[in-house]
Amino acid sequence: MGVIASRHIRVAAALTAAAVLVLTGCSSPPKSSDHGSDATGGKLSVWFPGNNQTEIDLVTRTIVPAFEKETGATVEVTYVDWGDISTKLNAAFAAGTAPDVFGHGPAAAADFVANDRLAPLTKDVATLSKSDRDDMAAALPGGQVGGVQYLMPLSNQGNLIMYNADDFAAAGLDPDKPPTTWPALEAAAQKLTVRDASGAITRSGLLLPTQATGRQQSFAALLGGAGGSALNKDGTKATWNSAAGKKALGYFADLYNGPHAVSAALGQDYSNAPTAQQPLVLGTASMTMLNSTAMEAIKAASPDKDLRVLPPLKFSGHDPAALGGAGPGLMINADSKQQKLAWKFISYFIDPKVSAQYTQGIGAVPLRASAAKTAYVKNDPIMQAFLKAAPDYVSNPNVAGWVQVRDILDKHLEQALHQTTSVKDALDQAASEADPILTANG
Amino acid sequence: MTSTSTRPPSIHGHQSGHAPGERRIGSTIVLIVLSILVLVPFLWVVSLAFTPEKDAFGSVSLIPAHPTLSNFDTAFVDANLSTALVNSAIVALITVATNCAFAILAGYAFARMRFPGSTALFYTLISTAAIPVSVTLIPLFLMARGIPFAGGNDAFGHGGSGFLDTLAGVVLPYIVMPLNIFLARQFFSTAPAELAEAARMDGAGEWRIFARVYLPLAKPLIAVIAIFSFTGVWDDFLWPLVVTSSPETQTVQLALARFLASGNVQYGPVMAGAIIATVPVLLVFLFNQRSFISGLADGSVKG
Amino acid sequence: MTATSTRTPASAATVAAPTVRRAAPPARRRPRWNRISIVGLIFVLPAALYIIIFQLIPVIYGFVLSFTKYSPLSRSGPKPVGVDNYANLFTNGDFGNALLVTGRYVLQVLPLTVVIALVLALLVARPFRGVSFFRSALYIPHIVSLTAVSLVWLWMYSQDGLINELLNAVGLPDQAWLLHPDSALNAASAMRIWKALGSNMVLLLAGLQSIPKELYEAARVDGAGRWNSFRYVTVPGLKPMLVYVVAMDIIYLSQGFAEIYVLTKGGPLGSTTTINYLIYTQAFQYNQLGTASAMAFVLFALIIGFSFLTMRSLTGRQK
Repeated sequence: MGVIASRHIRVAAALTAAAVLVLTGCSSPPKSSDHGSDATGGKLSVWFPGNNQTEIDLVTRTIVPAFEKETGATVEVTYVDWGDISTKLNAAFAAGTAPDVFGHGPAAAADFVANDRLAPLTKDVATLSKSDRDDMAAALPGGQVGGVQYLMPLSNQGNLIMYNADDFAAAGLDPDKPPTTWPALEAAAQKLTVRDASGAITRSGLLLPTQATGRQQSFAALLGGAGGSALNKDGTKATWNSAAGKKALGYFADLYNGPHAVSAALGQDYSNAPTAQQPLVLGTASMTMLNSTAMEAIKAASPDKDLRVLPPLKFSGHDPAALGGAGPGLMINADSKQQKLAWKFISYFIDPKVSAQYTQGIGAVPLRASAAKTAYVKNDPIMQAFLKAAPDYVSNPNVAGWVQVRDILDKHLEQALHQTTSVKDALDQAASEADPILTANG
Repeated sequence: MTSTSTRPPSIHGHQSGHAPGERRIGSTIVLIVLSILVLVPFLWVVSLAFTPEKDAFGSVSLIPAHPTLSNFDTAFVDANLSTALVNSAIVALITVATNCAFAILAGYAFARMRFPGSTALFYTLISTAAIPVSVTLIPLFLMARGIPFAGGNDAFGHGGSGFLDTLAGVVLPYIVMPLNIFLARQFFSTAPAELAEAARMDGAGEWRIFARVYLPLAKPLIAVIAIFSFTGVWDDFLWPLVVTSSPETQTVQLALARFLASGNVQYGPVMAGAIIATVPVLLVFLFNQRSFISGLADGSVKG
Repeated sequence: MTATSTRTPASAATVAAPTVRRAAPPARRRPRWNRISIVGLIFVLPAALYIIIFQLIPVIYGFVLSFTKYSPLSRSGPKPVGVDNYANLFTNGDFGNALLVTGRYVLQVLPLTVVIALVLALLVARPFRGVSFFRSALYIPHIVSLTAVSLVWLWMYSQDGLINELLNAVGLPDQAWLLHPDSALNAASAMRIWKALGSNMVLLLAGLQSIPKELYEAARVDGAGRWNSFRYVTVPGLKPMLVYVVAMDIIYLSQGFAEIYVLTKGGPLGSTTTINYLIYTQAFQYNQLGTASAMAFVLFALIIGFSFLTMRSLTGRQK
């Protein structure tokens, strides 16, 4: 047995040595652009913010071949979901191995800009025709930092409220003339809320997202509809503790608390729940705020329900607002040696036909207003609603440190919703914690 | 007094008044109940793997109403799972070999061949396990990139990409896991010292003592290190995410992350992929747990 | 080759454990350089060199970073700020809360996991027919992909999920498991216990296998019943492995993060925000590697301290 054991060790050692040699030699199989055999057009590395199969198919089978044919360059695409990509980008920038083109959600752009990591896209955007720029007017601002375009969005996104028209009718409300203000919505929700014998809510009249970061998004929509804004124009100071902010948060907290509450399950993340567990599908809510992808899935799962979309809401005396605007998009590495190629690659995605195909494939809101004419939108009332709401979208500020500031606000919003702090204190404390981070942007 | 190794091994005495048969039935029942309880979440993973995507989590019944194999198909095709499985297997097997070799050697030495400073060295080495990976990720990434003579690097590690996007890069942090050294040291510290002394008196060298006397006693230890090393590598996500870029070097967890897109989780393929990914680890476990059969424990005292 | 057994006379089995030690640990004199210890150094060298280069140096780098302000995205590299990062932790309410949460998490999960795993290991130590099946079944939670199984647990804990359905079936009301600050950490702990059982069981199984059967024989012959046999043979024999299991669990549990991330994202009201959750957020969402490192080293000091104390108390005088 001892002989066998020591032979095991020798075998293990030999294996290890062999494996090490094999591994270092055998990395990814050489691509056509490796080892100095440069294609005429150069090499472009792209980290694409998404890994949905339709996306991948579109990029790999349509866009990349067309691009490579036209420019003679080769493209290496890595697909990483934009939720995971921060870690990868951090490591790459620290080591100097960041790609030429990479993608992320708009909230991250400002931090890259603050560290001089992005090439401005203003000149490139200026080469687009005015009608093009107008067509994308709802999305472009979301990719701007300090008024300069750094991120080219690939789609629009937004949060709207989906309601069950049958529930409306059963409660004596007119589903064809739904509320247009938040207070009217709450009143309707009270009629829609169903309670059991012990007084617990079994069907919420209205559900707004209240999970981590979801709460901040709901608050942003309410704040916008009350005419307020999260930060001042420079992004150096929090202004969410204005009167508008207090009205918005007070409204939000009242949904969950008190004898006239209309919402249950505070903190539950229904936004990311499987379709079969969505409150509208289960019948545990009559109105929920959702993005377009979720709405499409819910509609497909409940074809027998009459589910419709509310346009953005407001508080009287102010403009309607919904949280929305640019979705994840692509940016160009400031150190890239292929900046012209990089823009060329990006511009493929904003071509009307490609853009329509892309957004339809991932179920997102189209980038261009002109997409209203495509079959994707024309046959789909949900898409129409999101596209129509585009002018009323307000987006989160694009300033450095926003992710941290947003988390601070989010934390205090939660306390106000749970009523462990008052609305006023929550907003003031959040502002005083956030201001030191924001003043650095001055 | 000799040990009768033919007696069925039982770690329980016979004095408590229950017949051994009854106790065995009692234990078996307890085991069955516990196993079922423990398996419930996994049974759901299995159930969801065979459930069509749109019905995911739709009912509380374990048997799907319309079972389908399409999730497995999606998992294999969309996630390029076969390549990922091979990559993970290569990395995991190498890790098992290196850990079994070097960690056991070091653990044995720390237990039985102490030298001045060995205690301090031991605690220094294992304390590196107490630092979260978030802090060491980027330094390690920088080192992987700067490995001299790799990936087009010169002697100073400049110019190329080092071990980035290679399986060697993926394997890099796992070659010797400090806690395995700790484990080996604990294990060898219980082995009797007389065996070594006797062997030394017979003129055996230290390597011989290790390989012929103590290593044969360490089958359970090797089994545990093999299982844990394999599992640790197989389940890791963060390091492969950072060090690989191309689909050819992806590991299993990265491939499965394909179905976890923000706001658009594909439950069916995730679960199907999880089952596919579990099979190799389970096989490694089954193979190694045979060493946990009593009958080896009589090797500590010969004659 | 004759080897003398360390078995003591039969009557010793009824006396307290220490005299039934089957192996004297190596003498605790100060070690000296001699042929044996030199070879020992050589044996240790490959592992030590590897760990020093690829684990220790990154740790030291991280320690240096903890005295700087550093974003990986920054072009200018780390900026020294002295002990500011550490000083700020004192006034950081979130950090203090995370310390408490982490401590509670470890204390809730550790004892239960070890005890249950020990029971399981005892049950599957005997090689009866089908034992492989049970061992595999009990080990599966440890090897199933965490993300996949967390999705199932998330559903199990949800308002209309499995657990509430079962409660309703027996007439009990729904619980908001993950939504209530009082129950969220317990719910996360339950899942962690479930996941950790298998690995602890495997370790204790290995430990059990190395207890020589002669000792049980001796105990049985001396009239020891099951409980005494367990107390005076099994537990002392398992001590080294128990020490390892507890230390390893402390180290891993203190760094608990992934399961929290999927189940609760640190909420509600910060009741499940562990230190490692904060560290990850600081490092990769806020790009503050300096702060993250400082937090990590405070956690490190606590882990080392706690492990040391626990190991000391487990092993008594000997180490």
